[in-house]
Amino acid sequence: MEEIDQKEIDKLIKLSRIECTQEEKKALQSDLSNILNYVAELDQVDVSGIEPCYRVLATLKNVMREDTVGETLERELFLANAPSHVGGLIRVPPVISK
Amino acid sequence: MHRLTAHALRELFRKGDVSAEKIAEATLNRIAEHDGKIGAFLSLFSERVRERAKRLDQKRASGAPLGKLAGIPIAIKDNMHVKGELTTCASRFLSNYRAVFDATVARLLEEEDALLIGKTNLDEFAMGSSTENSAYQLTKNPWDLDCSPGGSSGGSAAAVAARLCPLSLGSDTGGSIRQPASFCGIVGYKPTYGRVSRYGLVAFASSLDQIGPFSTTVEDAALIMEVLGKHCPHDSTSLSLSSEPYVEKLHRPFKMGKIGIPYRFLDQMNKEAKEQFFRTLDVFKDKGATLVDVDLDILKYSIAIYYIISTAEASTNLARFDGIRYGQRSSRAKTLDEVYDFSKQEGFGAEVKRRILLGTFVLSSGYQDAYYKKALKVRTLIIDKFREAFEQCQVIAMPTSPFTTFPLGAIKNPLDMYLQDIFTIAANLAGLPSISIPSGFSADNKPFGLQLLGPQMHDGDVLSYAHAFEKATHFHTKIPPLFE
Repeated sequence: MEEIDQKEIDKLIKLSRIECTQEEKKALQSDLSNILNYVAELDQVDVSGIEPCYRVLATLKNVMREDTVGETLERELFLANAPSHVGGLIRVPPVISK
Repeated sequence: MHRLTAHALRELFRKGDVSAEKIAEATLNRIAEHDGKIGAFLSLFSERVRERAKRLDQKRASGAPLGKLAGIPIAIKDNMHVKGELTTCASRFLSNYRAVFDATVARLLEEEDALLIGKTNLDEFAMGSSTENSAYQLTKNPWDLDCSPGGSSGGSAAAVAARLCPLSLGSDTGGSIRQPASFCGIVGYKPTYGRVSRYGLVAFASSLDQIGPFSTTVEDAALIMEVLGKHCPHDSTSLSLSSEPYVEKLHRPFKMGKIGIPYRFLDQMNKEAKEQFFRTLDVFKDKGATLVDVDLDILKYSIAIYYIISTAEASTNLARFDGIRYGQRSSRAKTLDEVYDFSKQEGFGAEVKRRILLGTFVLSSGYQDAYYKKALKVRTLIIDKFREAFEQCQVIAMPTSPFTTFPLGAIKNPLDMYLQDIFTIAANLAGLPSISIPSGFSADNKPFGLQLLGPQMHDGDVLSYAHAFEKATHFHTKIPPLFE
């Protein structure tokens, strides 16, 4: 498996929406490359014909419930945690520019 | 009072020899006196616990039946919600976040009359193996203040080891309960996946996360597990099983059966740890157990697949921290994109960023099959190998960690830190119940832990084998000298 390059790091930063300094990018490139080199040991494992594990418990199944009104969060408490709110709504910067 | 187990303390309270108010006061005093040395707590519920204690004393005076955990002070890792209290996850991102609902575990503990005393330190969002990734403070090992308590539940482990409280809760995604229990010389238990509800636990890697207790004895772990091990409709992975009488089961006649040892897999350990581990097995042999060799060579790949699966899940779980509804919002942000980009930059520490990026990489188009899908297939192989192994034995024994605790700041390379988890990750990958119990001390007086794993749903068997080991040894009675 190949080294991860700066272009790839820039793409990941954009996908995960975390701004990073040049210094952080350098460190990330080196750390991620190291980790991926280690992970490359998986190349030795033959998984042909093996199903991927999507659930740990064989007994797990989809849980459904009636569509009825239950307990909800208290608006006052919820808004107390919001960085910015107005009139009972969360306030964000403009999404669509003029 | 601080030397008492949860069972003993509850007896005193039930008999009326001590009031809940006195227990609460004594606990807060002991924390005030000793926590400065180890930094286990991030916040204390001083007023709340006094108020609860007063009401509990009234309840006892009224003759009403008392709960299973009546009068027992319990600390909670700061990634679980207690309504009205801070939940920081030891992250700057959530420095002011107040929980708007109770985690199921917090509710269950209070319904059984436990006294919740405060929140403990952790690696940010439970990502780490030393608690050094906390944005707020270092936690120190009560056995050696220059050393790490382990992680990520380091605060909860250190609090119990220093006898600041007899029980605490941690969460375990790849060993975050068992490794700190081992480093701090106490009991740490990770139940079967799905046995304890994660509702109100801030999610890290949802196919691996499980809540469990720290205690000084196996009996105390069994007691709190009777309370926590219940079906919860708010967690779709919660097992629809009724709770089990774990404590009573410990006291039933018990005959040791076969214990599986993955000899070849353990070969890589250093000499002292290996000798120590094989000495502990003599305790089981003396009690009539038969040791059998089980093939778990596949576990040498467990770290590689863990750091693919857990980071993939973390990258999706942590996407919710976007600076919109709660938590950090950057004051520099002028546009919506900048709210995301800058808030995450300012709110997350280096390890969290590293894992989000790695998780994003292994899930990204072009790499998903080579990394994420491949890891899921190897996970299937690991689960199959465990199934085969458990056809030959009741439980499997391994060390909890290849090492005893290490000095704070000693491990700088992230990958070296990940390698800490080589023996603990497998239980999470396969959803198995697993316990770490004190099993001895190194030449420089640092604790070793012994790990036992059972098949899914066999929580009671794991506790029984651990209890038998504990009864035959004295390691669990040792208190760090600074905290006697």
